[in-house]
Amino acid sequence: MSTEDTTSTELDELRSAVRDFMAAKADERAVRAAIDSERGYDDKVWAQMAEQLGLQSLALPTEHGGDGYGLVELTVVLEEMGRALLPSPFLSSVVLAGTALVAAGGDEAGRILPGIAAGTTTATLAPPSVDGGWSLGGRGAGDAIAVTASAGTDDVTLDGTAPLVLDGAGADVLLVVAGGPAGPGLYAVDAGAGAAGLTRTPLPVLDLTRRIAKVTFAATPARLVGAAGGAAAILDRVLDVATTALAAEQVGGARACLVASTTYAKDRVQFGRQIGSFQAVKHKAADMLTRVQVADAAAREAARAVDGVADAPDPGVAAAVAHAVCSEAFLAVATENIQVHGGIGFTWEHAAHLYYRRAKASQLLFGGPAVYYERLLAKAGV
Amino acid sequence: MPSEMDQFVAEVTTFLDAHATRRARAAEDVAWGEGEDRITYFSTDPPEVENAKVAAAKAWQRTRYDNGFGWLTGPTAFGGRGLTTLHDLVYDGLEAAYEVPETGVLSLIGLGMIGPTILAHGTDELRQRYLPRLYSGEIIACQLFSEPAAGSDLAGLETKAVREGDGWVLNGQKVWTSVAHHAAIGLALCRTDPDKPKHRGITAFIVDMTAPGVDIRPLRQMSGGSEFNEVFLTDVHVSDDHRLGPVDGGWGVALTTLMNERASVGGEGAGPVGRAVALPFLTELLRANGRLDDGAARRRLAELHADTLATEYLNHQMIRKFRAGEQPGPEASVSKLMYAQNLTRGAHFAAEIIGPRLIADTGAWGTYSWTELLLSTPALRILGGTEEIMKNILAERVLGLPKEPGIDTRSPFRELRRSVGSTGSGRSGE
Repeated sequence: MSTEDTTSTELDELRSAVRDFMAAKADERAVRAAIDSERGYDDKVWAQMAEQLGLQSLALPTEHGGDGYGLVELTVVLEEMGRALLPSPFLSSVVLAGTALVAAGGDEAGRILPGIAAGTTTATLAPPSVDGGWSLGGRGAGDAIAVTASAGTDDVTLDGTAPLVLDGAGADVLLVVAGGPAGPGLYAVDAGAGAAGLTRTPLPVLDLTRRIAKVTFAATPARLVGAAGGAAAILDRVLDVATTALAAEQVGGARACLVASTTYAKDRVQFGRQIGSFQAVKHKAADMLTRVQVADAAAREAARAVDGVADAPDPGVAAAVAHAVCSEAFLAVATENIQVHGGIGFTWEHAAHLYYRRAKASQLLFGGPAVYYERLLAKAGV
Repeated sequence: MPSEMDQFVAEVTTFLDAHATRRARAAEDVAWGEGEDRITYFSTDPPEVENAKVAAAKAWQRTRYDNGFGWLTGPTAFGGRGLTTLHDLVYDGLEAAYEVPETGVLSLIGLGMIGPTILAHGTDELRQRYLPRLYSGEIIACQLFSEPAAGSDLAGLETKAVREGDGWVLNGQKVWTSVAHHAAIGLALCRTDPDKPKHRGITAFIVDMTAPGVDIRPLRQMSGGSEFNEVFLTDVHVSDDHRLGPVDGGWGVALTTLMNERASVGGEGAGPVGRAVALPFLTELLRANGRLDDGAARRRLAELHADTLATEYLNHQMIRKFRAGEQPGPEASVSKLMYAQNLTRGAHFAAEIIGPRLIADTGAWGTYSWTELLLSTPALRILGGTEEIMKNILAERVLGLPKEPGIDTRSPFRELRRSVGSTGSGRSGE
């Protein structure tokens, strides 16, 4: 099923189905309840996403229980999730772990993927470096690989600490890039039943809608996924896909901020006028719209490129452009959203800070500006 | 792509192969240190060079027209091909690979804006009379809209048209009139009833630019050249069959022109200017100046590249919508704002890398030559609707924010205040 076959009408139908679902299951009250919960997300909603809409399986390969669609379809879903700020392990389990497993291939991937597709297993992928970054080393001490694997392919054990693992405390399966005898490889740890030597510490988080944990391995049993020493190619693919997915989420979040600001600028009256009639506010809103439009175009183009659509640009370049432009746009729009709302926008009760937190954390999730701008130049051959 | 489009591509390629030379290198390849280093947005050519370029432009447009490529989207009854905007885009993409004369002097105003306006509002007689001549490159058209006291507030224009027998007599002053000195006709907006609210007392006319009473004076731009003019109209007679649209219905005519203007300004990413601020050329600039490892310079280059590509992706999205038969949304306006911003940033980035060799002409290749672009970029935020007006439009029409409460669209035009000194009433009688 190639993505070229999905018409814009079908994409619109998918969007409206997901939007309706989010409106019913992930309104602001539900999001705040999930934030305050032990797990950090509503597992009933997670199960319904799989059972009613099949979102987890949408873009996974058919041979592993997926529906075989691509990022063009998946990003429609992610945009709606981003708009609603849905707390869920979708990015960690489906996007990060799912992409890593598909890229790695082999029996181990085949064992884990059907559960991810069904939403019955959650997995995550730990960033490889000691500073929580996604580089495989080369630039400095912070880039050193955080976890090492023992020799062999069968009775492998892992040692080390991954400092910033998305949904690391709750995931059933932890995928870890660990330094091994054949170079960095991808390893899987079954964490559900509590693996030996595994310590998972939930951390206080800037973005309240995404949980992050420190994960320590001490002679923890693990299995190699894919080829020994094969992590570099897997990570490259994961970063292209994950930053494209994140870009769509960021566009959704930015759009929500634009709508909130526009609505407020029409409702709020000062000096006897709707504040949206003042050019100072109007031009701010136009700047926000401009940011959102450009970000939206970048995210869509990246999805087409990563899916390998015929007339699309180079996927590495398009993904890097989308990651940079959408990160900057969401942060700018989320910041201005607070400004348009004035004092009320600075209160805990208003949703503006939830978007601002999500925007800042998303910008830095894969390394931040210093990393993504260099990644763009590298992909463009400079 | 449907086979009809494949046929079209083959037809265009055959035409171009027969009438033009394919470029020696791909348009985007950089020939660092070789050849022309001027980066010209506005012409600064001496008159004889400019006139030769206009003649070449007209000749190439004639060749296009004679072979069926002069007006792809126009109706066949008036010399067009009856094809779509997508065909236009495909044609432009193919032609970019050939060495052909630059035809902006005809296309930006005349073919891009005035032609579509005549088509939408003209009588069959006017369409028959002017459209084939415009699209065959025989004549050039200009836009007589802005006035000294009516810039962003175009509907505040004061040039008068008064009925006299079978026609009209025009008096007033127009300004910022690009290509007027090459134009045979102009589309003029005139006040025909000052007792009506300002948008409802305007009428549009096609003016013969060689008629008695039309006085065209060049304005020198800050970039040095003179591409635009002020045009004085003194007792200029226009017959009523050269009226476009109903009497006092000129605002609707103007909107058609302005809509086409916004569509024509945004998508100019390609060309020598676009290439100068694109990644390959700027990378060579960094390399030549030993700055390829400079973190601060790399960061600015990457930021610029990200925004330039994202704007390009926005244009792709617009094209895909055209292709799918959908009406694009605010992409064209957003693209115009981004284009001005990206080009300006690119010029200043290059200037920073070049340093002092930009402020005086040392003769070094690719240094002082950037001054032309630096002196042109301020215009991009003004022409075709200022950035501020564009933002008003985006906020009001796309986001639905309320209009400025102070704008009076109901009182008679003669009662409106039109300068700091005036109080409104009675001024139009001067």
